[in-house]
Amino acid sequence: MTNPRLAFLFVTPALLFLAAVLGWPLLEAVVLSFQNVGVIGTTGSWVGFDNYAKVIGSAGFWNSFGRSALWVVANAVVQTFMALGVALLLNQKFPGVRIARTWIILTWIVPTVVVVIIWRWLLSTSGGMINPLLIQLGLIERPVGFFATRESAMATLVMINSWRWFPFTALMMLAGLTRIPGDLYEAARIDGASAMKRFTRITWPLLQPTLLVLGIVGTLLSFNVFDVIWLLTAGGPSQATQTLPVLIYETAFKGYKLSEAATISVLTSILLMAFALLATRAMTASEEAR
Amino acid sequence: MAGLSLKSVKKRFGNVEVVTGVDLTVENGEFLVFVGPSGCGKSTLLRMIAGLETVSEGRIEIGDKDVTHVDPAKRGIAMVFQTYALYPHMTVATNIGFPLEMAGLPQDEIDRKVAEAAKVLHLEPYLQRKPRELSGGQRQRVAIGRAIVRQPEVFLFDEPLSNLDAELRIQMRLEIARLHQELKSTMVYVTHDQVEAMTLATRIVVLRAGRIEQVGSPLDLYENPDNTFVAGFIGSPRMNFVKVRVVRVAEGFAFVSAEALGLSEIPVRLRGVEPESPPGDVTLGIRPEHFRDGGDGALSGIVSVVERLGGTSYVHAALNDGSQITVESRDPREHQVGRAHTFAFDPDSALLFGGDGKRL
Amino acid sequence: MKRTLPQSVALYSGLLLVFLIIGMPFWWVVSGSVKLPREIIARVPTMFPQSFTTQHFEKLFQSTDFPAYLVNSIGVALFSTIVTVALALPAAYAFFRMRFPGRNALYRLILLAYAFPTIVVLIPIYGLFAKVGLIDTRTSLVIVNIAFALPFSIWMMRSFLSTVPKEIEEAAIIDGAPARVILLRIMAPLIAPGIASVAIFTFIASWTEYLFASVLIVSDARRTVPVGFAGIIGQYQIDWGLLLAGATAATIPVVILFAFVGRWFVSGLTEGAVK
Repeated sequence: MTNPRLAFLFVTPALLFLAAVLGWPLLEAVVLSFQNVGVIGTTGSWVGFDNYAKVIGSAGFWNSFGRSALWVVANAVVQTFMALGVALLLNQKFPGVRIARTWIILTWIVPTVVVVIIWRWLLSTSGGMINPLLIQLGLIERPVGFFATRESAMATLVMINSWRWFPFTALMMLAGLTRIPGDLYEAARIDGASAMKRFTRITWPLLQPTLLVLGIVGTLLSFNVFDVIWLLTAGGPSQATQTLPVLIYETAFKGYKLSEAATISVLTSILLMAFALLATRAMTASEEAR
Repeated sequence: MAGLSLKSVKKRFGNVEVVTGVDLTVENGEFLVFVGPSGCGKSTLLRMIAGLETVSEGRIEIGDKDVTHVDPAKRGIAMVFQTYALYPHMTVATNIGFPLEMAGLPQDEIDRKVAEAAKVLHLEPYLQRKPRELSGGQRQRVAIGRAIVRQPEVFLFDEPLSNLDAELRIQMRLEIARLHQELKSTMVYVTHDQVEAMTLATRIVVLRAGRIEQVGSPLDLYENPDNTFVAGFIGSPRMNFVKVRVVRVAEGFAFVSAEALGLSEIPVRLRGVEPESPPGDVTLGIRPEHFRDGGDGALSGIVSVVERLGGTSYVHAALNDGSQITVESRDPREHQVGRAHTFAFDPDSALLFGGDGKRL
Repeated sequence: MKRTLPQSVALYSGLLLVFLIIGMPFWWVVSGSVKLPREIIARVPTMFPQSFTTQHFEKLFQSTDFPAYLVNSIGVALFSTIVTVALALPAAYAFFRMRFPGRNALYRLILLAYAFPTIVVLIPIYGLFAKVGLIDTRTSLVIVNIAFALPFSIWMMRSFLSTVPKEIEEAAIIDGAPARVILLRIMAPLIAPGIASVAIFTFIASWTEYLFASVLIVSDARRTVPVGFAGIIGQYQIDWGLLLAGATAATIPVVILFAFVGRWFVSGLTEGAVK
């Protein structure tokens, strides 16, 4: 029906763009990982798998990998929990539901820097609102430095990042919820199913495909989060929040070890792609099983 | 205006052959209807004529021009879709004028032709409306308007009435028939509804599994079906089929019997060449409307359901051999559910089919 | 369906909680931006401003480069958005409807872009842009933003295109419309919500982009809001009033944009994304 020449005319601009700005640099990163380039703009010589041996043998890489894994899982748990609740609320009928559905995403549309300012300010020990609030609620006795200890820094970052992303996740879940036909619920009511039963027997199972997709996309998205962490803690205190993206940035632009950073990048990409492939395969398999 | 011819046209989707060799010539000005059950390939065939599907094998000619590989827009056809396929964001006038605009006509000429079409189709008050503000019937007329402004050589209709309710369907059927009489162009029409086929067509093509079963005028197909498939498909309610045995053949008649049903040596006229020996087990076909009191043949059965339509009624009955028949009756009061009844029929109008389903 | 009283209470208290979780932080920042410095760092925070001053905004717009950052950000975001839509629409249509060798493989390859950490390409892109002289230009940011928005945009538009009945396109083909006309006159108006979603997505992604803007831009005058503003954070002794004013000023443009087109974006996300 259509000739391939025209189709190529349609796709080529976009493809060329992606090839030049994403594809080629990716290959370049692979090339870089086999060299010993230090400062950006200088040239190096081939060193084979030396960088890989070094990175894989370093505790720093595996520690960061562990932190990234923790980061992804913690964000997934917190966001899923918050988002599902909000999605269920927004799936109800109430006056102003459209406005609520639109503006819920406010935290996601403002620049990360603004998010950073907001939370630094709210959590600060001088003038911040959170400390006095927690003291009044009797949860703490004196002001806490949220980014001061290793554990609280990570936990605080997860909460802030989740605060930024949960509305987006909620809207995606809402999309899945609105796809469930309303007469299913009416039929279930006629069959005498309680609200709880309707959730566990209709909503939850029918939401599974959406949650799976969100799980995959969300993992990739939160893995890549850099600016919130960088601007709030810069990986500290004492590397407690140094996830892989932060490690790559530091290695390249603070440690001036470009090739080593590229090596970490390539290894990270391999890990992420393996995850994406396995996850999509598992998803299609479970879809076919249905 | 022009005729249309298909020469051993085939269509394959992967390994599946959905149209298995169709040869057909449509005369100029004819109203041809493709009819058949779903999946028979009728829509695919129409879409091949339109150029929306490629032809796997064979040739399609419109007029005397080979259009097998010609762009849909350059074939001299127009098509009306089942879903109307109106452009939702354009007004009725823009919708109708769109093909002319694409052909590069000046705006004043487009306006004139659109106004003309709107007049024919009674769409004048709605020209500035959007399709969603129209009723189903009005949308259908816009779709037809978009087709007629192009003055195509061949009109193609793909189940155009299926999305309308029963009353509108009858009304639009009449309008399409009127349009054909006025424009006198060649029309090819696809439907699964044999009533539409019977009422509109000058010729009907019955399709099954990608092949032509029979081509003929509506009455021809009704009176002289070639096989049990056509006999069963054309006519509503469908023809009754009863298993019988040919006892002897003489002077163009076959004498059939079925002891279990109380039939003995009923003469049925043969159509083709008289077979040398009796063909044995055959199928007797009787249309529901061919039962009448005092007929020479008779089948006895037990009445199971009586459907009253007012003027006539359909009596459904189970025969002794377990088969079901439907009988048209003028007076439903004489039939009571559960009672045995003998249904007389006219052997002259009955048909006989061989073991392979072909007409004898 | 009628709600029982406990259900209503649960619904509205849930909504109130969500409203507070999202709204309160913004309220504190916006209200803080007009408070006098001593009220800002008061030991007992005030819910409503007890004092009013525009001194923070004056300082922000007069003695920092913030106005330039705003102009840069708006320019970068606008250009990124326009080019992304212009590239994504034909590509999405080709991937959706047209047949060409390698179509599915290419489509999957494009979506694979999100399986890479964005930081992977940062280092090589820096080298590449250095070679062609794009470092420290706003064009470099536009290019990067487009590249990162394109895969999602193509995917989103493709799913919107799939909601248009095939017959409408077929009718247009029979009416003699070439592919370009079908795309621009028929398909584009029909998937307007999808195009709007993609545009808003790209605009916001460009507006909030930090990593590349921080590395590719060197001179202060060419910085975008996220990077320039992050600079202000470090530049001064923590001046909360200034930072809160900046946060407020950086939020307002997207809020204005969203007030007009937010509905499209959200319905695009919720309706288009699931197909």
